[in-house]
Amino acid sequence: MPEEALSVADQRCMEALQLAGRIIIENGGETYRAEETICRMGRGMGLTQVESFAVPSGLFISYRRADGALETSVKRVHRQGTNLTRIDEVNRVSRSVSAGKMSTEDALSQLRKIESIPGPFSPGWTVPAALLCAAGFSLLFGGGWLEIALAGGIAAVVQLVSLLLQRIHMHWQASSIAGGFLTALLPHLLAWILPAFSLETVIAGAVMPLVPGLAMTNAVQDTMRGDMVSGISHGTQAALTACLIAGGALLSGALLRLLEGRLIP
Amino acid sequence: MITGMLQALFGAFFGSIGFAMLVHAPLRSLFPCGVIAALSYLLYWVLAFLGISDALAVFAGALFGSLSGQWFARRMKMIGTVFLMSSIVPVVPGLGLYRTMALLGQGATAAGAGQGIDAMITIAMISLGLGVGSYLNRLFHAKKNPSGFDFHPEG
Repeated sequence: MPEEALSVADQRCMEALQLAGRIIIENGGETYRAEETICRMGRGMGLTQVESFAVPSGLFISYRRADGALETSVKRVHRQGTNLTRIDEVNRVSRSVSAGKMSTEDALSQLRKIESIPGPFSPGWTVPAALLCAAGFSLLFGGGWLEIALAGGIAAVVQLVSLLLQRIHMHWQASSIAGGFLTALLPHLLAWILPAFSLETVIAGAVMPLVPGLAMTNAVQDTMRGDMVSGISHGTQAALTACLIAGGALLSGALLRLLEGRLIP
Repeated sequence: MITGMLQALFGAFFGSIGFAMLVHAPLRSLFPCGVIAALSYLLYWVLAFLGISDALAVFAGALFGSLSGQWFARRMKMIGTVFLMSSIVPVVPGLGLYRTMALLGQGATAAGAGQGIDAMITIAMISLGLGVGSYLNRLFHAKKNPSGFDFHPEG
């Protein structure tokens, strides 16, 4: 049977559905959300028998065309980072499309804009965000002013290093190892020159911005909806991140023991 | 007691707002994120202070966070992930995991393993709290929405 060319309307529909699903998964969304968004938008566009299957590394979409033929597409997705503002914006577009308040063309044009919005803050703002996060949790763990300031300062330095690693296209695993290493090393080095402070409170506070909170939430959300593949995938990512941070911290412990052995024979 | 409670409240509030900023959460979600996190952690703190087991206190905190997070998500027509993530971050056993690493690094395997198991139980209780909250939410909306579970509870 000869392959029929897709009509422009069909192309636009498929492009919009792919883009919506891709933005959600690329920016750290749950796979069930990508699937539901695709199905709802598809039905809102007037398509029938819309089906979607998403995993953290790809998307499958199919629907029945007006001429009765089944249209299917496969899209490989590469995780970019975490940006919940983009996911929230896709959700807003999806609501409008499924309520019949937005055309396919408008949805596609909005999704293209959403794909490149930076979020409410530029990447540089993540440095003060890490400072606020670590300082807050250091207070929660019972830290005094010195511990709060040190935890915040160290988390800011770690976030700066993480941004530099991202700039030279290093994977997130490198940031986790470097983060764990610096978070455990810097307080010990500062303890040699500063008055006595609680090392444990500073390190526990400074490590909080590195915690894989989103992967944990997604793992639970996907698993509870019966999506075991995505649940296990997100759970493994959370466990791997925790192990890499721990590995970095253990490395710094070994280095410190070496330094202490050389400096204090 | 009051000092400890205030430390817990403000620590969870500001810490969670910082965490939400790190994952580029929408601007209008930041204040609710801080409020949910502070109240969830306060519940955990009060229960732990009253002598209730740590695991049960974590479960209660996570369950409250899950229910209130989904309530905020529906009310503000936003994705629930933002609020759910913020509500669990304060009870994530950062200190326990650090102690596990430190003890294992010093060669104190038995003590490190004990700390590690405690941290794992806490993580399991957080998952259970989030999961039960999600089921309760679906159950409630399945009653309100006769079409059944084909409903997106977090918007």
